[in-house]
Amino acid sequence: MSSLADPWIGFWLPLALLCLATGFWLTDRKDSRNRLSGPIFFVAVVLIVAFGSKTRGGDSSETALLAVLFHMLGPVALMTIGSLIATFAGPSPVGPLPRGLRPLGFLMAMGGLFWIGWMLISEPPDAIANGIGETIWGSWVDVFLSILILVAALAGSFCVMMGYERHKEALTLAGLTIAGGVMFNEIMRNGSEGLLAAGWHQIHWEEMMFLIGGLVGTLTAVLAFIALVYMAEKRAPDPDVVAPLSEEEKAVVDAVLRLHLEVEEAE
Amino acid sequence: MRNEERDSWWGPVALLMFLIAFSMDLLVWQLSGGTELSLIVERMILGFTLAFGLTSFGLLLISLGAVHRHVRWQEQVMGLFLLTGLGLSLTNWQMDGSFDAMRGKSVILLSGVTAMLAALVLVFGLLLALVTGREHTPDPLLQMESTHGDVSIELED
Repeated sequence: MSSLADPWIGFWLPLALLCLATGFWLTDRKDSRNRLSGPIFFVAVVLIVAFGSKTRGGDSSETALLAVLFHMLGPVALMTIGSLIATFAGPSPVGPLPRGLRPLGFLMAMGGLFWIGWMLISEPPDAIANGIGETIWGSWVDVFLSILILVAALAGSFCVMMGYERHKEALTLAGLTIAGGVMFNEIMRNGSEGLLAAGWHQIHWEEMMFLIGGLVGTLTAVLAFIALVYMAEKRAPDPDVVAPLSEEEKAVVDAVLRLHLEVEEAE
Repeated sequence: MRNEERDSWWGPVALLMFLIAFSMDLLVWQLSGGTELSLIVERMILGFTLAFGLTSFGLLLISLGAVHRHVRWQEQVMGLFLLTGLGLSLTNWQMDGSFDAMRGKSVILLSGVTAMLAALVLVFGLLLALVTGREHTPDPLLQMESTHGDVSIELED
C-alpha cells in the first residue's frame, strides 16, 4: 500500500486511466469496453483520493496540486451552482426553479469570486504556503484572474455587439472584468498574504508565460490529431460497389412495403 | 451596410482583448522592472513542447481505448505515438533530462488548465444566466399544433 504514495502510481496512472476510460466510454453501447468505463473511472478516482490521503502538501508537486484544487473547490462549486440556479430560475423552458431564487444564484456566483478575493488577503493553508505549493497556487490564481478579465471583457463586448440592447448583461460582465482587474492589480502592486509582490511578478513572468505556450501547444496537438484523422480517412479505400438487388430481393422489398402500406391504410 | 457592420464585430473585440492582455503585462512589467525577453520565449517554448506531448499522449490513450474495427487506427495511433515522443523528448532535452522537473512543470500545466476552466465556467455560466433571463412575447408559430402532415389547401378563384 505504501506504493500508493508514489506520484507515478497515485497520480499519473489514474490520469492515464481516466483517458482510457474516456476512450472506452466513446465506444459503441454494445461493445463490452463501454461497460468498463465506469469501473475504471471509479478506480482512478479511488487511487487519486488514496494518494491525496497518504501524502502531505510539501511531499510532492502532485500533492500540492491536489491541495490547491481542494482549496479552490468551495468557491468554484459556489460559482457553478450559482450560475445554474440563476439560469434555471429565469424563464427556462426546462426544469424551471422558483423565480425568487434568481438573485440568490447571482449572489452565489459573485460570492465565489469574492471568496477567492478573500483567500488572497487571508493566510493560506500550510500545504500551499511555501515552495512548489505556493508556486502552483500562485499560478492558479494568476491564470484564473487573467482569463476571467479577458473572457468577461470578451463576453461583455459580445453582448454589446450582438444588439437587442443587452446593456444590463454587458454591464454585469464589465463589473466582473473590473473586479478581476482590481484583484490582479492589488496582488501585483502589494502582493497577497504570505506572498510578496515580487513573488507574484516571478510567477507571472515564469509560469504564466509557460502556460501561454502550453495553451498554444495544446491547441496545436488537437489540430495535429485532426490532421492525422483526416489523413487516415483520406487514405481509406473507397467502399466496394454494392451489387444491385436481385429480382428475388426486389420481390421481398415489395412485399414488405405493401404489407406496411396496407396496415397504415387500414388504420 | 448594417450586415457588414455586424459581420465585423470580432475585429474590435479582438483588438480590445489584445489591448487588455497587453495592459496587464505592461502593468507587471512596470511594477517588476521588466524581465529578459529571451526568458519569456524560452518559457513559452518549454510550455508548448510539454503541453503538445502531454495532449498527444492523452489523445493516444483515448484513441487506444476507442479503437474499433471500422477505424483506420494505424495512422492515428502511430501518428500520435510519434507526436507524443517528439513533444516529450524535446521537453526532456530542454530540461536537461530531468524527469522530476518535467513532472513539476506538468503539474503547473494541470493547475493552469483547471484555473482556466474555472474562469470559463464562471463567465459563460453568468453569460448564459443573463442572456436567457429575458422575457419574450410568445411566438404564435410555436403555439400552433402539428397536423402530422395532413394539409388541405383551399384555392380561391
